[in-house]
Amino acid sequence: MSNGLSYSLQDFIPFTADIYFRLLERMGETYWPLHLLMLILGLVTCWLAWKHRARLAAVLIAPAWGFVAYAFFMQLYAELNWAGGYIAYFFFTQAILLLMALTGIGLDSRPRKGAFALGIAIAFSGLLVMPFIGPLSSGSWFQAEVFGVHPDPTAVTTLGLVVLLFRGWYLWLIAIIPALWLLYSGLTLWALEATPAAMVIFVLLGTAMMGLVCKSFGYSLVTQDNTHDG
Amino acid sequence: MNSRFTRRQSLKMLGVGLAATLFPSIPSFAIDRELLRKPYSDNKTLPVIGLGTWQTFNVGSDTRLLDARTEVVKAFFELGGGLIDSSPMYGSAPDVMGYALQQLGVPDSLFSAEKVWSPAGGSAVEQVAELLGRWNLEQFDLVQVHNLRDWREHLAALREMKQAGLIRHIGITTSHGRRHQEFEQIMASKDIDFAQLTYNITHREVENRLLPLAQDRGIAVIANRPYDGGRLIKGLKSRDEALPEWAVEEFGCTSWADFLLKFIVSHPALTCAIPATMQVVHLRENMRAGMGAMPSANTRQKMVKYIESL
Repeated sequence: MSNGLSYSLQDFIPFTADIYFRLLERMGETYWPLHLLMLILGLVTCWLAWKHRARLAAVLIAPAWGFVAYAFFMQLYAELNWAGGYIAYFFFTQAILLLMALTGIGLDSRPRKGAFALGIAIAFSGLLVMPFIGPLSSGSWFQAEVFGVHPDPTAVTTLGLVVLLFRGWYLWLIAIIPALWLLYSGLTLWALEATPAAMVIFVLLGTAMMGLVCKSFGYSLVTQDNTHDG
Repeated sequence: MNSRFTRRQSLKMLGVGLAATLFPSIPSFAIDRELLRKPYSDNKTLPVIGLGTWQTFNVGSDTRLLDARTEVVKAFFELGGGLIDSSPMYGSAPDVMGYALQQLGVPDSLFSAEKVWSPAGGSAVEQVAELLGRWNLEQFDLVQVHNLRDWREHLAALREMKQAGLIRHIGITTSHGRRHQEFEQIMASKDIDFAQLTYNITHREVENRLLPLAQDRGIAVIANRPYDGGRLIKGLKSRDEALPEWAVEEFGCTSWADFLLKFIVSHPALTCAIPATMQVVHLRENMRAGMGAMPSANTRQKMVKYIESL
């Protein structure tokens, strides 16, 4: 007999998997067809990044974070989890950090080819692949998680774009909130026994982290080279 | 043979007929078998199967899920249920109870159990007032100090509220086997009506000291986590094993829910177990466990050995 009870991750999640997935579905029901607009916004942002218009691309992601903060976290998620209100403030903060790109801080107008490919792959995963995961597993199109409407694809797409658009210490600063949310979301899904969905989140998060590290490492090499040249 | 009905038989038949008309969805076992009740303070009794709301009733403002939970509450009362337990820690669960009671009305059998929980903010008096509004009730039957958080202040406040007639009973809770020493000291030294703790077939530490103490002090005991957060029942169901024959023979066991819940509520010190569910079909399974024969002390030992052998 085991007498030593202890808390598990599941004991910290105040809702069941059904309730959480229904919450995602409600976002779909409530805001359709905003999904299409957000999808276009995401694609336009990728195109701007490809055209090296980093400042405008970064600024365009900010409204998506503001909308998710208000509509998802403050309006719905906070009803289920007291932490929802606090998470909303983090999402608003991320929107402000993205708007700071207007000042030109940390922008990378000429990303290297490797960073560009990895960044665009991650961003497209969030934009074009993640929306199909919910419907394929549940059969309901309203469970499609979409950039700018639901937090997970918003964070994944943003991390991909961050790898493209930023560099230096600001690259890491602006990646913190999306990365932490994905970690939290992945752990939540894991605790809710939605293991495949959690694995997708962890793989994308891991890939994005690798992209951040590679980009930072690449830039430090360039800096050394420049020093020798000088 | 005398074919005439006695007065008692006639009344019973009338009752069965009425119940079948009013509650056609209730299977026959519910009509001819009553939910076992156990005494708590002042010789009142409670049905041994209650309803927990952790995780399952936290559905926010989603009308579809609010209606689904209302169906669960409706079936609970139809099957003779009484105690429903919630907490400010459970998100929107108190609001969901308010919604359900507004739809169904407040039945006489309701035994409303709430908690005060420090992180929710405000004093115990303020929390109780807010929770009453969320449940749409005027008085709680029981208010407990959740997980012993700031229990000295809260218990003193709850005692005053009880004396003023604002709440009927007071208690303390713990779960996951935490802070048992402190829990025991409070049970031994303070005047409380209820103690809520974790007790199930794989977690029986409370049998050693807390349950005997509850019997000595006349404290009613509520068992939380009867399925160990769902792991026990899921584990047993996934094994796809038949129920042991002796369980069927000795106490008419019909399901693993029956097996696990009957083990808990057959303990002499236990008053009520509070499994949580979001499905009417599971609720019916749970309620069935409070009906019919209960395992004897010897059978309980056999049940423990069986589970340990798996």
